[in-house]
Amino acid sequence: MKKILSLILAAVMLMSVVSFASAEDAYLGVMLSSNVMSLDTNLATDGDSFEVIADCIDGLTQMDDEGAAIPALAESYDLSDDGLTYTFHLRDAKWTNGAAVTANDFVFAWRRIAKEAGEYAYMLDEIGNIKGAAAIIHDGADPETLAVKAEDDKTFVVELEVPVSFFPSLMYFPTFYPINEEFYNSVGEAYGTSPETFLSNGAFTLEAYTPGAASFSVKKNADYWDAENVKLAGINYQVVGSSDNALTAFRSGTLDIVMINGSQVDAAKKDADLSSKLTVTGAGYMWYLSFSQTEKNADNGALANANLRLAISNAIDRDNLVDNYVMDGSLATYTAVPPQFAASATTGEDFSADQARFADYVGFNPDKAAEYLAAAQEELGREEFTFTMIYGSNEGDEVAKVAQAIKEDVEDLLPGVTINLQSMTKTERLDKMQNDNYDIALTRWGPDYADPMTYLGMWITNNSNNYGFWSNAEYDQLIADCTTGAYITDYDARWDAMLQAETLVMQEAVIAPLYTKANANLISEGVEGVAFHPVALNRVYKNATK
Amino acid sequence: MTKYILKRVGMAFLTLLIITFLLFLLVRIMPGNPFPSERMSADQIANKRAEMGLDNPILVQFVDYIRKLLLEGDFGNGTSLYYGVPINTVLSSCMSNSFRIGGLAILIGTALGLILGITAALHKGKFLDGFCTVLSIIGVCVPSYVFLIFLQYYFSFKIPFFPYFFDAKRFLFSSIIPSLSLSLFTLSTIARFTRNEMVEVMDSDYVRLAESKGMYGNSLVRRHVLRNALIPIVTVLAPLIVDLLTGALVVEKIYGINGIGKLMVDAITGEGIDYNYVLALGILYSTLYIGIMLVVDILYGILDPRIRVQGKAGDA
Repeated sequence: MKKILSLILAAVMLMSVVSFASAEDAYLGVMLSSNVMSLDTNLATDGDSFEVIADCIDGLTQMDDEGAAIPALAESYDLSDDGLTYTFHLRDAKWTNGAAVTANDFVFAWRRIAKEAGEYAYMLDEIGNIKGAAAIIHDGADPETLAVKAEDDKTFVVELEVPVSFFPSLMYFPTFYPINEEFYNSVGEAYGTSPETFLSNGAFTLEAYTPGAASFSVKKNADYWDAENVKLAGINYQVVGSSDNALTAFRSGTLDIVMINGSQVDAAKKDADLSSKLTVTGAGYMWYLSFSQTEKNADNGALANANLRLAISNAIDRDNLVDNYVMDGSLATYTAVPPQFAASATTGEDFSADQARFADYVGFNPDKAAEYLAAAQEELGREEFTFTMIYGSNEGDEVAKVAQAIKEDVEDLLPGVTINLQSMTKTERLDKMQNDNYDIALTRWGPDYADPMTYLGMWITNNSNNYGFWSNAEYDQLIADCTTGAYITDYDARWDAMLQAETLVMQEAVIAPLYTKANANLISEGVEGVAFHPVALNRVYKNATK
Repeated sequence: MTKYILKRVGMAFLTLLIITFLLFLLVRIMPGNPFPSERMSADQIANKRAEMGLDNPILVQFVDYIRKLLLEGDFGNGTSLYYGVPINTVLSSCMSNSFRIGGLAILIGTALGLILGITAALHKGKFLDGFCTVLSIIGVCVPSYVFLIFLQYYFSFKIPFFPYFFDAKRFLFSSIIPSLSLSLFTLSTIARFTRNEMVEVMDSDYVRLAESKGMYGNSLVRRHVLRNALIPIVTVLAPLIVDLLTGALVVEKIYGINGIGKLMVDAITGEGIDYNYVLALGILYSTLYIGIMLVVDILYGILDPRIRVQGKAGDA
């Protein structure tokens, strides 16, 4: 018995030695709220994946603290006079296998994105307007016809269909990152599934990772072109499903950056220790109501009536939603393009700084709501309407409460209107919306790039995200002028045209904007320099210190 | 005996095939969309579906699937979860985590359970018996994740000795908390069964006969009591083993273990239901269950000569 006891004791001591020996102080412990779905730029579709890819791979440009594009792998670039040809001059940089980063790495990666035609391929044709992209993605044209070329190892040339003013800022989005062709071909399908099958050229390199891993880590890349400015030894990522668990892990010191939910924010504010560590950052995406305007839905197409939509939009108390249900610092929103992510390049003013601009059409205004309802009832010749509102059960704790609050507001202020709630998974919700099989949906959209068009582009006739099937010729023309027509070379005129287009959306309540989501983060004392962004890359650690 | 085993193996294989087909049908009936895309146009989605063969008649899809599985041992690629990554890669890393932690839990649970059960039986009616019984009842009643949260809170947070989350770099060390929590149910179940079976066997005529022949102590317990008491325990242990090996969903989620329980939930509730992952995991669960049941049947024969004889009679 004594022997066994001493053996156990020895084992425990050994383990404690092991545990202390591997304590890595300069590693930042970061919470992810969901799994990293893929480290392959062609397959990744979620913010967490993009964040980790961007830790390890640099694009032509990267984000500064304000979200503006600054040089990364491209030391500089030239733009032709007609605004259609970008020539990027690459700096000396290395992949982690020692190979140089060359222009061909971009040519290969971009052609592959176009050829595979996955979720984010639209960044190449619809957003980037790269010559030849649309034909490859939609009509199966030869990927070689994409107008990108490596003039030499250090010169990468891209031709566009039309000038795109924000093209340099697209370059920090992971879809446009390079991949080493030779390495990719040597690992094939397994690309990006382990540290051995993944190449970095960025601030960090993959240290331990398996697909779907609940915890994994990246470590500083000593061969990074800007390694002297990278202060962290690495980052330990931990997927944490529940925010209660996240909070305890934060208190225990295991994690340095965690996200907490609205009710915890309330408690944290009252806690002397936690309140100083609370930082609210913009998450970018906007929650809104989408109304189906087709005949077969929404009580015989009743929501095709603009007055009825305006009535609902004016009956919702958005301040109540963010103050009492979401509670994490999210902003009540009264514009079709949310604030905080797109500012004018000439004036620096936020596109949606003025939240009172559409006070006539949106807001919490019981009298107006009643007027709009009366007008709708007269136009439609009926008094009562019953709609079903769908929302996701797996899209955040607060979503069900928000849906309930909207139902109460609308039914209180609009007699005759009944809203039934139906919860389902996000996938089912999207499925219903895409198949035009819903009345009202509580849905969200996050900006992919820092231009109002990431929202406004959705409401043109036949856009695949125009789930309400709204159609307005004047609007379509304005958007066309801004993306491919008259305004593309005139920055300020384009900006004004977009404001005009937004007015059309709000006048007819194509959607009812609700709130712009924020993230409530707890950040350990001594952690500095983590850049939070509402668009593209949510967190950037290149300049972080601990 | 050989013929009997062959027959059982054949039956097991057929059962698996039927289960696979039913699963194949069921995942396709489930609501949800394997491509919940917000950015692809209709033509892009149609191309992806065609690439995956999802437009073929279901029987053609099934035959393709089975052929690939049997000939190449390949579960294919995910349809949406970790899209494009071969399932075998993901499954093998998840299985190794779940199996190692589950295996450790089985070892702890069975060993401690037997000790507890035997102790209780040998001290029937005395304090130790009552103590062991109460302990095992608590173990059955408290869900493993509650025990996990308790251990995590006190031994990772209050006394920061063990890691707060599972850490693949320190596998054994960070497996202790989840394995202990998972072993609790097995431990208690085994302890209860062992005690009851042993008490029953000790009251039986042949044990009394052995005692009257002068056998006592260790050799009596080992040769006569325990061996007979073990048969029902093996029956109970089999499904417990499958449960533990196939991953404990909540424990894996809370402690951040990348195992197959977590994978299953991700495959169903993640962004887009993943047909191929659900199918692969379903087949894995069924194979394990049927396989373990097969082993149990054969174990019976080894533990109890009477079953061997019956087996022979059945063959004739």
